[in-house]
Amino acid sequence: MGYGQRVLLEGASFDVQRGEILVILGGSGSGKSTLMKNMIGLYRPQAGDVLIDGQSLVTARAEARALLQRKLGVMYQSGALFGSLTTLENVRFPLDEFTDIALPQKNLTARMLLRQVEMGHAEALMPAELSGGMLKRAGIARAMALGADILMLDEPSAGLDPITAANLDRTILLLRANLGFTFVVVTHELTSIFTIADRAIMLDPRSRRIIAEGKPAELRDNSSDQRVRQFFNRQPDAIVQKVEA
Amino acid sequence: MTTVRRAAAVAEAATIILEGRITAYTAAPIWRAALETLQRNPNHPIRVDAARLEYVDDTGIALLFDLKRRERQQGAEVRIENLAPNLAALVEGYNPSDFAQAYQRPPSAGIAEHIGRATAQMIADTKDIIAFLGECTAAIGHTVRRPRSIRWREVVAVATEAGANAVPIVLLIGFLMGVIIAFQTALVAQKFGAVLFVVNGVGIAMLRELGPLMTAIVFAGRTGAAFAAQIGTQKVNEEVNAIVTFGLDPVRFLVLPRLLAAAVALPLLAVLADMIGVFGGALVMLSFGVSFLQYYHQLLTAVGASDFILGLVKATVFGLLIGGIGCQRGLGTGAGAAAVGRSATSTVVTSIVWVVVLDGLFAVLISRWNF
Repeated sequence: MGYGQRVLLEGASFDVQRGEILVILGGSGSGKSTLMKNMIGLYRPQAGDVLIDGQSLVTARAEARALLQRKLGVMYQSGALFGSLTTLENVRFPLDEFTDIALPQKNLTARMLLRQVEMGHAEALMPAELSGGMLKRAGIARAMALGADILMLDEPSAGLDPITAANLDRTILLLRANLGFTFVVVTHELTSIFTIADRAIMLDPRSRRIIAEGKPAELRDNSSDQRVRQFFNRQPDAIVQKVEA
Repeated sequence: MTTVRRAAAVAEAATIILEGRITAYTAAPIWRAALETLQRNPNHPIRVDAARLEYVDDTGIALLFDLKRRERQQGAEVRIENLAPNLAALVEGYNPSDFAQAYQRPPSAGIAEHIGRATAQMIADTKDIIAFLGECTAAIGHTVRRPRSIRWREVVAVATEAGANAVPIVLLIGFLMGVIIAFQTALVAQKFGAVLFVVNGVGIAMLRELGPLMTAIVFAGRTGAAFAAQIGTQKVNEEVNAIVTFGLDPVRFLVLPRLLAAAVALPLLAVLADMIGVFGGALVMLSFGVSFLQYYHQLLTAVGASDFILGLVKATVFGLLIGGIGCQRGLGTGAGAAAVGRSATSTVVTSIVWVVVLDGLFAVLISRWNF
């Protein structure tokens, strides 16, 4: 996986169980977001495959691929709401495009989705009027609109204040508990990782491989890999060198 | 893999049976049928049997909630039965009173408000333009005193992009202009035996008017819009704020290199347009029996250095104008991607209007001074 001739990650293989919250973590530039974009079919991996319910997303023809992608709901880092639509219209957008449901019922569905992410009060606001956390929560509601099985969230708590980030973590846990969503979350926010993750995989930009896989607390406490311990203990490079010396 | 069975709502007297999977993709006919059943039975209690419901997503939950929340006569309520406890809890989690009011998009502005806003915007734009002209003048003064303060490397880069890379399109437009003018006028002139004088027309039109004018219009669409989009994106990404907080002047840093590049590139492009236009005219005149040599001699009698210089002056002024408008609109960009698009569009429209207006002013002044 990479860009052109540049390889970001190689030899990586992992699975995500139904109903699980898997966190992809790693330092900046380790290829977390790129990995997610390969998983959702935005990029094509240089080698290997992405299987959803046993079906290949990489080799599938356009129609089959579109059907597979319907199982995925994606929230991008910025929320990626459409600036000309209100929050509710953004959430309703997939229903407008893919269903024949009557407008009042689509509005009701979108409003209920917004309430699930605690955004009911902001349905008539334009994206430009929303804070970073609100944009991300609205982005999650839109990702859920077509009943995706798997929600892919790219840096959901990055740049948010601790309370908003905690609210977002709670929303993720509630959605999993109530609706059984499977989550793949790209993040390097330690608090969020320990709050929501059932399992984590860690990418390393130097070796370009997955260097750890397991429960976050176990990785923090028991990993024999110094890079993993450094990440979970938030140690800068200099301190690690000093400790090693 | 889970087999998807088509869900169905079957109205049996006052009973709705839900079965299979209700998802966003399957909900529309089920929802319609269920609401019709409710409408057909306003006085009867409605029993919704969810025993055979296999799966619902958020849309399915909205459907169940919608049936349950409907206000009905006493004794004619909707009762959902055999719903899985986790789904029932989800449906119960919503309060019908929260959805009593229909969603309303924020009202769009009326005509009076539109006019008011547009007027206020025009006043604000005028103020901005005056302030911008002042800032540009001050920056140019500063640059004249300290020529090294300008980022010459940026000037060359912008001039290359705006000038050298625009050569093919300018050559094409210039050539076609020369060909079209020569052909159209020659057809008429032929009737009066004045074909040779078409050369005068082509030469004067290309050098004094069409060369600078057409190049300026291409430049506005290509480079003016690019200036607005580049600086607008920098504004949206807070790069302009970063420049200010470093104590740098965005006009000197971003605008001046572009103004200089535009003032150099547009006249050079106009010269190319002049040359290729005249050449296009010569090719057409061959078919009317005017040789290259005749064309050349007639051209020398028809146009002089003043025509060429006038074209250059016009092109320089147009270059400064288009560059200035592009940069000013870029710096005035609001928030979001749409604002960048608006700035680029506004640059092209405003530039073309002002280029034509200035061209008219040039025509009036020139006729008065007999230049």
